[in-house]
Amino acid sequence: MASEALLSEDALYSEIRGQRLLGFLLFLISDCILFSSFIFAYLYMRSSVAVWPPPGVGKADLYVAAVNSIVLFGSGATMHYAIEGFKHGKRGRFLGFMIATIVLGSLFLSGQAYEYSHLAQLKTTWPGSTYGASFFTLTGMHGFHVFVGVVFLIIVLLQTLRGTYDRHRYFGLTAATLYWHFVDVIWVALFFLLYVY
Amino acid sequence: MDQVVLERTIAVIGALIVGASALTSLAGEWKKTGLDDQVSKVMLGLLTVGCVIVILAATGVVGKV
Repeated sequence: MASEALLSEDALYSEIRGQRLLGFLLFLISDCILFSSFIFAYLYMRSSVAVWPPPGVGKADLYVAAVNSIVLFGSGATMHYAIEGFKHGKRGRFLGFMIATIVLGSLFLSGQAYEYSHLAQLKTTWPGSTYGASFFTLTGMHGFHVFVGVVFLIIVLLQTLRGTYDRHRYFGLTAATLYWHFVDVIWVALFFLLYVY
Repeated sequence: MDQVVLERTIAVIGALIVGASALTSLAGEWKKTGLDDQVSKVMLGLLTVGCVIVILAATGVVGKV
């Protein structure tokens, strides 16, 4: 009788988890559409001028951005190791990689702040040019997502320490991992479009 | 060492390490079939692509300084 009740509870959780996952993926898709709109606007502005960035406008440093990108991509790898550690019951490994992810995410934001100050010295500002407007809008919006992600990770870490999740029920962790990977992948597109292309 | 050389070196070494980690993780995820696992596979694959772009940019193959 007790095992039947446990079984039905597991089935119910499995169904709820599926619905939550679908809802979260729909949220990520809507966020993807938001970024796509801004990327399209950037490409439209960029294609409407002969020289990009416009003459006299300071450009963001490719190599600083490359190092900063690796910091963010590295955090994606540590996040993956963190959730795998949790799934396999390795608490120390989970905590270490989770903290590493939070530190790397914060480092990325610091790198972005350094880049903004460098651009300010070059007189590249938000209202000063179409390049500045599109660059700061896209990277600022992404930076805001990273900031939200760092807060999300801290909350999930605290919840885990309080015992909210166990090896079979950890949707919050799954959502945090997917969100962090999403933030990483958006940066792949932004790095290519803003610095390389 | 020149700052630019240092930045490029860190970017290339970092991208190699992260790219290898992402590929290893992708191989580990490969046989999993859950929806979140499938999304993770796509994300890890794109992360690897990102590392390749960083290597190409840091080595001067693509991108304008």
